[in-house]
Amino acid sequence: MAAVSEWRVKLVGRPSKDVSCPSIVKTRVIDTGLCCRCMACMAACPAAVRTGVGFEFEEREHVCVDCEICVRVCPRLDYKPLSGVGSYIEAVAGRSKRFEGQDGAMVTEILISAMEMGMIDRCIFVGRDEEWRTEVFHVRDVEQLEVPTLTGTKYTFAAAVPALREAVLNTKAGVGFVGTPCMVSAVRRLQKALAVFRRVKLVVGLFCTENFYWEDLIPFLEEKGVDIKKLVKTDISKGKFIATMTDGVVEFPVKELSKIMPSGCRFCTDFSAVESDVSVGSVGSKPGFSTVLVRNENAKAVLDYIRERGYAEFGEVSLEAVERLCNLKKKREANIKEAMQKGD
Amino acid sequence: MGIKRLKMPEYKLGDKVRWHAAALGTAFKEAFFPLTVTVQYPRERRKFPDNFRGYILFDIEKCINCWQCAFVCPANAIRMKEAPNKKYYPTIDYAKCIFCHFCVDSCVGGALRATKIHDVAYADVDEMLAETEQLMEPPEILREDKRYVEYVIEEDDVRLRRVKGQDYLVAEPPPRREYPMVCVCEDPESCTGCGTCADVCEHYAISISIEGEYKVIRIDGEKCVGCGLCVKECPLHVLKLVRR
Ligand SMILES: Cc1cc2nc3c(=O)[nH]c(=O)nc-3n(C[C@H](O)[C@H](O)[C@H](O)COP(=O)(O)OP(=O)(O)OC[C@H]3O[C@@H](n4cnc5c(N)ncnc54)[C@H](O)[C@@H]3O)c2cc1C
Ligand code: SF4
Ligand code: SF4
Ligand code: SF4
Repeated sequence: MAAVSEWRVKLVGRPSKDVSCPSIVKTRVIDTGLCCRCMACMAACPAAVRTGVGFEFEEREHVCVDCEICVRVCPRLDYKPLSGVGSYIEAVAGRSKRFEGQDGAMVTEILISAMEMGMIDRCIFVGRDEEWRTEVFHVRDVEQLEVPTLTGTKYTFAAAVPALREAVLNTKAGVGFVGTPCMVSAVRRLQKALAVFRRVKLVVGLFCTENFYWEDLIPFLEEKGVDIKKLVKTDISKGKFIATMTDGVVEFPVKELSKIMPSGCRFCTDFSAVESDVSVGSVGSKPGFSTVLVRNENAKAVLDYIRERGYAEFGEVSLEAVERLCNLKKKREANIKEAMQKGD
Repeated sequence: MGIKRLKMPEYKLGDKVRWHAAALGTAFKEAFFPLTVTVQYPRERRKFPDNFRGYILFDIEKCINCWQCAFVCPANAIRMKEAPNKKYYPTIDYAKCIFCHFCVDSCVGGALRATKIHDVAYADVDEMLAETEQLMEPPEILREDKRYVEYVIEEDDVRLRRVKGQDYLVAEPPPRREYPMVCVCEDPESCTGCGTCADVCEHYAISISIEGEYKVIRIDGEKCVGCGLCVKECPLHVLKLVRR
């Protein structure tokens, strides 16, 4: 790219200079409950980088330098809800022979294989601490996966998108990312607004009906008799939340969780991560297998590599189950109209 | 584990005589035509090259307050301290300094320079922190052999010759190869227009103005001194220094 000494940045066209960007996001996204905690706004915020302020918008208002990037990247401002299975060129069930994960560990297999192929040189994983708080890891070597908590699903939000800034600034080949559909959309917005984020070369989307706030989920589980210290796996399967501990299992209908479901998820219609390069989930395949929807050639190349090396076994998927959940989530469109009207 | 006793090898008398004679010969040769020499430090010392990495001197007139020295120091020995004129100047903690002279090499204004002063003694660790004022003058030299010895190998008969001379510890540094740099934007599509660069530039070389629907960022090549402060501070690393 040619180096220049004069360049321009398009302004978003705010109603007035007196309306600060954080206040626009706050009134139209946070206060209306549309915010999905993707943290795209933090990933790009120069003031957050320089001062170390957190996600709180009141705090951010004090340090804001008026650059408007949060307004440009927030996927829930001028929200265009996506839904359905989306386009794909291949749908298979897979189980990794090398890794263990939530289902068939295909997410891990795909990211590590892409790293071996040289398509990417690092990827962002979401691990957890002993209290099940999510922690973000920059994985650059397969040996880092010896930390067993790196794979598997954590049903709480993670700051994986803000971690991308550091990753894209340091990468040579490219960055791999995995996240829920809202996080995938956030990455796409960032890529549209800022060229550096186009160094994210592989985006793996996870099927998702909802996610939870750690502050809400943990007390809820404790009330159900789950000892968090002994908890080793959480799963949602066939309408049940299953918490597996070292010395027992607690199960309850997932419907009970609806009272702690974050409002951002109520407005989310994307189950299959339509905007990903490849989507992975558990519904649609046998237990122990992950459903994999390959959406473009880039991701296809990774899957071909896995096949060629025999790193995974493959099976049939039933897309009806996936479609059913997509349709169920599409019904949430009604909630959005209501909120949008409130925000304007 | 048992102990293994080594047996003394048996030498013939002829061999013994031959080896002893060879050893005596070598000793004799070294005494009169030595191949190696020992510098009798501190009675004498060798001549140091002019770019010897010793005590560092600071010229306040040349400092542009870019903080480059403090950023680059791998030992974290440099701290910037506010002066009465509200500008920040370096102090060097010689308890930490590893004499890599990265600071000297990277000083944009050429305000830091190397000297050959090397035998610096302090009474305690606190004293080792050299304040800006202290860095501006060479330390008091109590005992230093102004004369040096140097051993040069004669071209014609490959013999070592002892040369004495006078050394100046604060020598004019050899001329630096200058690469005048200027800052440019290599990835305008990743600029958020946050203005961090304009904010940190000490020379007001970067300006940001709103023109219609756009924010326009301009780098004035005339004013830019190539210190690289904006390059370092830009949150998305879109700027870089290039040779003029
Ligand atoms: C919040 C959430 C809700 C989900 N809901 C459904 C659902 O309703 N139906 C369904 O079929 N599948 C759902 N999934 C996906 C499913 O749980 C598995 O993640 C998926 O099948 C991949 O399994 P795997 O064994 O291939 O992945 P693994 O190889 O185990 O890798 C899982 C990856 O997910 C990442 N991850 C874990 N937790 C998070 C998080 N909170 N945020 C971002 N990344 C994370 C980890 O970094 C890890 O790399 C959900 C996942 C999440 C995170
Ligand atoms: S500095 Fe920019 S990104 Fe951060 S809050 Fe202000 S306008 Fe938003
Ligand atoms: S939806 Fe994402 S980008 Fe928008 S305010 Fe919430 S966390 Fe920030
Ligand atoms: S600091 Fe970087 S992102 Fe901010 S305006 Fe300057 S060049 Fe653009």
